Amino acid sequence: MKSALTWNVIAKCSTTKARAAVLDLPHGSVNAPVFMPVGTQGTLKGITPEQIESLGCQIMLNNTYHLGLRPGQELLDACGGAHVFQGWNRNLLTDSGGFQMVSLLKLAEITEQGVQFESPHDGSLMLLTPEHSMSLQNSIGADIMMQLDDVVSSLTTGPRVKEAMWRSIRWLDRCIKAHKKPESQNLFAIIQGGLDPALRKQCIEEMVKRDTPGYAIGGLSGGEEKDKFWRVVTQCTDLMPREKPIYCMGVGYAEDLVVCVALGVDMFDCVFPTRTARFGNALTATGTLSLRQAKYKDDFRPIEEDCDCITCKSYTRAYLYTVVTKETVGCHLVSIHNTAYQLRLMRQIRESIIEDRFPPFIHKFFKDLFVEKSAYPEWAVNALQSVNVDLMKGDGPH
Amino acid sequence: MSPLTFNIIRQSTQLSAARRGTVAMAHSPDTNATSGKKQIETSLTSSTKRVMETPGCFMYSVKGSVPHLTPDTLRLQGFGGVNVSIEHILQDHQPAGFDKWPFSLSKFLNLQDLILLCDIRDSSRYTKVPFNSDRHISMKTRRGVRQLTFEEYLKVVRAYEPDIIAAYADSISDLDQSEHGNRQLIGPGAGFKRVCKSVDRSLKWLDQILQERQGIDTLAAQDEAAAEIKKKKKGKKDNNQENGVDQLVQETKKVHLDPVTTDKEPQAATKKPWAGVSVFAHVLGAQIEQERIRSAEETAKREGVDGFIVDTNTLPGSRDEIFKLMKTSLDHLPTDKPRLIYGMQTPEDVLRSIALGADLFDTSYPFHLTEDGKASVYSFGSNNTTSPITNGHDNSVKTHRWINLWDDEHADKFVPILKGCGCYACYGGRHTRAYINHLLKSHEMLATVLLMGHNMHQYSEFFSNVRQSIQDGTFEQHSALFVERFGTEPERTGEIHAAQIVLEAALARRNRLDGDESEEEIAAAALAAEEKKKEKERLRKERRENNKTKGLRNMMNKKEERLAKERKQEQPLHEQHQQHAGDESSRQG
Repeated sequence: MKSALTWNVIAKCSTTKARAAVLDLPHGSVNAPVFMPVGTQGTLKGITPEQIESLGCQIMLNNTYHLGLRPGQELLDACGGAHVFQGWNRNLLTDSGGFQMVSLLKLAEITEQGVQFESPHDGSLMLLTPEHSMSLQNSIGADIMMQLDDVVSSLTTGPRVKEAMWRSIRWLDRCIKAHKKPESQNLFAIIQGGLDPALRKQCIEEMVKRDTPGYAIGGLSGGEEKDKFWRVVTQCTDLMPREKPIYCMGVGYAEDLVVCVALGVDMFDCVFPTRTARFGNALTATGTLSLRQAKYKDDFRPIEEDCDCITCKSYTRAYLYTVVTKETVGCHLVSIHNTAYQLRLMRQIRESIIEDRFPPFIHKFFKDLFVEKSAYPEWAVNALQSVNVDLMKGDGPH
Repeated sequence: MSPLTFNIIRQSTQLSAARRGTVAMAHSPDTNATSGKKQIETSLTSSTKRVMETPGCFMYSVKGSVPHLTPDTLRLQGFGGVNVSIEHILQDHQPAGFDKWPFSLSKFLNLQDLILLCDIRDSSRYTKVPFNSDRHISMKTRRGVRQLTFEEYLKVVRAYEPDIIAAYADSISDLDQSEHGNRQLIGPGAGFKRVCKSVDRSLKWLDQILQERQGIDTLAAQDEAAAEIKKKKKGKKDNNQENGVDQLVQETKKVHLDPVTTDKEPQAATKKPWAGVSVFAHVLGAQIEQERIRSAEETAKREGVDGFIVDTNTLPGSRDEIFKLMKTSLDHLPTDKPRLIYGMQTPEDVLRSIALGADLFDTSYPFHLTEDGKASVYSFGSNNTTSPITNGHDNSVKTHRWINLWDDEHADKFVPILKGCGCYACYGGRHTRAYINHLLKSHEMLATVLLMGHNMHQYSEFFSNVRQSIQDGTFEQHSALFVERFGTEPERTGEIHAAQIVLEAALARRNRLDGDESEEEIAAAALAAEEKKKEKERLRKERRENNKTKGLRNMMNKKEERLAKERKQEQPLHEQHQQHAGDESSRQG
């Protein structure tokens, strides 16, 4: 099918499956690997678009489900889409809206036709079909839009997983057919198949035939064992076409990002950095600081000494201790730092890939974060070993 | 020599006491830091003179931050100063922990490029606290009422080194608690004697503060005087008692102690002066006119005072009565020093106050508008007369001073809040009324960020136009036009827009829409914790109660047993049996 993007791999790691690339989208270039902050309702939790730009963010997420409810399709059409609506001139990615219905609404029922759910506003029954999802996403105007998929929990086993996989393929066909703007919006397929390698393989084979501009690994990050998670990821990246971007949905912890990049993933999103910020948790290379704790009340250092975000340039932990979870400013400040941290981590990963020193970067990253090798998560050690990085052996080549 | 200079650039015509001027601080707080505190370079440190134009505003802050604004969005605002309340920022472990405090307050709050004024109480509103005493002032912190002693206050000033400190003052507060509109005295109000005392006390404290600023340790002197009196009394007592041994002990103690105290004294007397701190004095007198005059005149006599504060938040009565009381104060103050007013926030109150000779205010008005979801659309000055026509409004209809963005009518208005406005939200049409309406209804924090920026910008524009009109000699004329056009602000009654009530109810009901509502989670967790605590408390109480009754019962039983035993010995054998059975049954019951 038509594509509105170009994907140029500029460097490949000589040890792992990691790669650095430039993804050109209708609203500008995106440096991959990339982390996409989640601005659920057309805004990134109190941070102004200008601030997000200044953090170096090139692509942000919006949720179709939320924008479909408010402001609604009519208003989005009237103002010319979500970019204009929220004053964001860079790229947007929207999900299909299906995930929220399954995760948020108890009364969602999935049929061949679509996802039926109770409207949170008036309780009436509504139906989200692949056609409706495409229509909404066309109105939003996102640079990358996701197909409606049949989401099952990654803990589900049995025939339901298989059914969901095949249905997702059928729905992808309906999405492709319903997509009105393939020349300006890119539709990504979502690989399903649970934790079953055979189903994943089948799904990839079928979906690759549809030749969408990019692919996402779906149905993960739902509470499955991490050791199973990375095996699915690495299997998918092995089987997926290497000349297209690969997006792993809902992944956002720092160590997950580093491992998944090594396994060959290019794009990520997660609400975690901004959500945890609202609880007063600041992300750093050496772990999370819970700024609500009294031990920070006389700590006159910034969150991170070498961070160049406006929070670290302006305030100490002692000051943040007094405002987090109490003032909106406290929330904005930690959100800004966490987003800056996440984006900086991705930049560092990318630079290390370009300079072909990603493996030593991984070694240093894990040492900074976990200090002791005994504290390294086993799944991460296994996953990295599968791509020739042995965390347990020395400090890595320098 | 005070670092603060006040220049009057233009005095208005005889029609009003309005004046235009500047308040300038000579140095940045870091360049004249008095103690050997650690200096950390930041990008925002500047050694340039910091200036506030008057009439103008200190930005109102909560916990040392201007609400909703991060350092970068704060710098887009056109105000040169910030007002920080000690009751907001003083932590529970301070001032005891000030030995760890490494730098000035303005550095801590990242406000080095602005003029920082520090007062004890929140300047924006009235909150009732218990009466102050000779030794302390009551203030309302997040954890309830706290008492700040004069000694602690001095510690705070030395540690924080604000540019301007409001003097420690005994402000009387016995108004009804309702924050808006209803300003009724509780009972008969403070009597004449109480008001006199508040004026006297505050003057005494002011004198001490001015001495402290020059490096004189007034507390040590006070202690010494007190000790002297005590010694004398003690001596008399001892003499009277003629207790030779005790006296000897006393005297030897004195001998041992004396060198220590004499060692201490010179050190204390040469405390570091507050080189960079200016003092604004509160002018008091409550609702009693002659006391207001006395307070103003006495305070004015103190040469070291750099400016005056008139707090109208604590005054009872109608708007007109409050203005009259404020005027009494202003009329008896020297004209060559700036006057800061608390409690005059709406544009028309500000205009009336300026006409009476007020110079400085705070930005709590734009903050309150923002909290309501309102966006300012008022304007002052020359375009005032033309815009009603260009806007197509009927001249007889009063134009709104704000629009409420919760209103559904804005949902499809893809236009800026105010055309031609230069604030972050409006400039270049980046953000629209429809978007802010969406943000409010989606419970998103960017709504208040954008609204605060806009409302602050408009307030700043308002003051800028006021200054220009004083310069041009059109202030009185434009003031009249402003009131004619915009009327007066309806009294705030803590109103909440219907849409907001609906939203909050829905949020509470649905609990979590996107699994992304930390506030709700926190609130719910707090509620659960509170209930758990209550339950625990209840159980503990129950247990205690149980133990108590059990203990009592045991005691009673033992007593009865003892009595029974005694009786047994006295009673004939055949009766004993009966008694015992009766005992058993009563114990079971």
